Amino acid sequence: MQGAQHGGGAIVADQLVKTFNGTVHAVRGVSFAVQPGEVYGFLGPNGAGKTTTVSMLTAGLQLTSGRATVDGLDVQRDGSVVKRRIGIVFQESTSDGDLTGRENLELAAALYSVPRAEVRGRIDGLLERMQIGDAADRLTKTYSGGMRRRLELAAGIVHSPRVLFLDEPTLGLDPQGRAGFWKYVLELRKEHEMTVFVTTHYLDEADGMCDRIAIIDHGTIVATGTPGELKDRLGGDIVTVRPSVASPTLGDALGKVPGVTSVGQQDGAFRVKCHNGEALVPALVAACVQAGVGLQGVSLKRPSLDEVFLEFTGREFREDEGPTATDRAVRVGQVQSAFRGGRR
Amino acid sequence: MIRETLALTKRELFRLARNPQAIATSLLLPILYLLLFGQALNFGALYGSNDAAAFIPIVRGAPNYFSYFAAGMAGFVAVTATLFIGANVIFDKLFGILKRISSTPASSTSIFGARLLAGLIQPIGLAFLVLGLAWGLGHLGLSGLSITASVGVVAAVQVVLAIVILSAMFASLFLAIGFAIEQPQTYFAVVNAINLPVLLTSAALYPWGILPGWFKTVASYNPITLAVEVIRLDLFAAAPSYYPYNAWVYLAGLFGWAVAMILIAILLARRALGPRH
Repeated sequence: MQGAQHGGGAIVADQLVKTFNGTVHAVRGVSFAVQPGEVYGFLGPNGAGKTTTVSMLTAGLQLTSGRATVDGLDVQRDGSVVKRRIGIVFQESTSDGDLTGRENLELAAALYSVPRAEVRGRIDGLLERMQIGDAADRLTKTYSGGMRRRLELAAGIVHSPRVLFLDEPTLGLDPQGRAGFWKYVLELRKEHEMTVFVTTHYLDEADGMCDRIAIIDHGTIVATGTPGELKDRLGGDIVTVRPSVASPTLGDALGKVPGVTSVGQQDGAFRVKCHNGEALVPALVAACVQAGVGLQGVSLKRPSLDEVFLEFTGREFREDEGPTATDRAVRVGQVQSAFRGGRR
Repeated sequence: MIRETLALTKRELFRLARNPQAIATSLLLPILYLLLFGQALNFGALYGSNDAAAFIPIVRGAPNYFSYFAAGMAGFVAVTATLFIGANVIFDKLFGILKRISSTPASSTSIFGARLLAGLIQPIGLAFLVLGLAWGLGHLGLSGLSITASVGVVAAVQVVLAIVILSAMFASLFLAIGFAIEQPQTYFAVVNAINLPVLLTSAALYPWGILPGWFKTVASYNPITLAVEVIRLDLFAAAPSYYPYNAWVYLAGLFGWAVAMILIAILLARRALGPRH
C-alpha cells in the first residue's frame, strides 16, 4: 500500500510496523488516513493486528517503525497530548467494579481534566443517555454486560474527545445490545463531529455502521473502501460450484459460459463471478453436465463482506478464531472471584 | 496533577472502605500479638523481675520487655500492613483497570502517588492502634506499655514521622514490586522472600543487649530498626549511653531509605504505565 500523507486526516498511519520480541510480526506496514468526522472500520479476525494498531495509535504501544498522527499530533512524540484528545473504549471491561457508575465517570472526568463546573452536568447527561441513570449509584460489579459497555462508552467520551477509538466495543453483547450501543455512537458522532475508529470482527457491524473499512489480515491491510465499493469489487454475485470429483478442466468450461466474469478455485470448489447469478445457475449446471462432471452442490451468494474477505484473503472469515476477549474477561472474572476477600 | 492524584486517592479509599472484612482482618494481627505473644514472651522474667536493673540495659532503657516489644510491634505492624499494597496493582493490571487509567493523560507519578497516599492509612492507623492498645493493657492489669519519658511536641512529631516514613518506605517497595510483576503468585512469593528477612534482621522484637555484635551491625541499618529506635528514644527516659545518636539521626537514615524506595517505585511505575515496547 502507498504511504499515507501526514497532516490531512484525523488519523494518519504511515507504514506502521509492530514486531514483538523481534520475531512476532503483529503489524506489517499498515497505512491509511481517516478523515475528520468519519467512522472508519478495521475489520479482521482475532489476531489480525487490529488491537495492536489501536494501541499504537492511542500512544499505548511503541512503534517498531513507521509514523502515525492523531488529530495532527505525532503519537510517539506527543503521546500525552494525544491522550487528552482521544477517547478509548477497550474490548474488555475496564471500569472499576468496586466503584459506582457515577464514581467511575467522576474518576474519568478528573483524569481528563474536565472543568469542575461541568462535571456533574456532563455525567448526569451521559448516565441518562446511556440509560444507566437508575443504576448510577450502584457498584458496577452488579451491572449487566450491556450496562458495562454503555458505561465504558460514557467513560470514553466524558471529555468530549476529537477522536474516539472503539476496540471491539460490542464483543459479547447480544444483537439488541449491539444495536443500542451503535445508536449512541452514531448520535454522538453526529452531535460532536467526532471521528470514530472502530475495530470489529462483526461483518454486519462493519457493513452497516462504517463509512469506510480496511480489511486487515496477518498484520496487513488487504483492501480498503466503502462497504459498497468493496462489494462492487467482487464483480457481482458469486456462484460456488462444487464438483463431486476433482476436475482440473471444469474451470475452463465454466469460464466459457456467457455472463461469467471470472472463475476462481478454492478447496476443490469453483467460485464463479457473474452479474446475475440466479439466472446463470442453469447454464453453469449445463456446462458441468456437458463436461461430464457430477455435482456435489451449487450455491449462490450475493456480494457481502464475507465474500469480500474471502476474495482478498483466500480464506473464509471466522468470527470465532481463537479465544475472544470475552472469553479472557470471563477467565479474569473467575480469578477475581477466587481472590476476592484476599485483595487487601 | 494534584486533581488527578486526589481523584485516584479517593478511588483507593472508596475501595478500602468497601472492604470491611479486610480492615477487620488487619486488626487481628496486632491484637493477637499484644494479647498473646506480648503477654507470654516475658524476657524480663529470666532476670527475676521485669524491673530488674540488670535487664533495663538489655532493652536499651525501656522499663520492661513489653514496653520495648510494643514499640517494636508498632514498626512491625506498619510494615506488614503494606505487604499487599502491590497486589492491588497486579489485580488492577489483570482486570484492565490500570490499562484504562494509563490510557488517560494521568501521569505515572500521580498513579503511584495516589496509591502511596491511600496505602499509608492502614499502616499508620495500625501502628498507633498498637501503641494505644499496648498502653491500655497496662491499665487492665496486664503487661502494658509504660511511657517513662516526658513526651513533648517534638517527640510526638518524631514518633509520627518515624511511623509515616517507615510506612511510606515499605509501601513504595511493595508498590514497586507490584508494578514490576504481572502475576499475583509471583508477587506473593517475592514479598515473602523480602518480608521475613527484613523483619528478622531488625531490632523490632529482639532485646538489643543479647544480640551478637554482627547482628547489631546488620540491624542498625535496617529501616524497621531505625523507626522503632526513634519510638523507643522518645517514649522511654533512656540514658543517652543506650543510643549512639539522637532521634533525628535515625529519622534521617530512615528518610534516605524511603527516598530511595520512592524513586525506584516511580521509575518502575513509569516503565509499567508508559507505552509498551
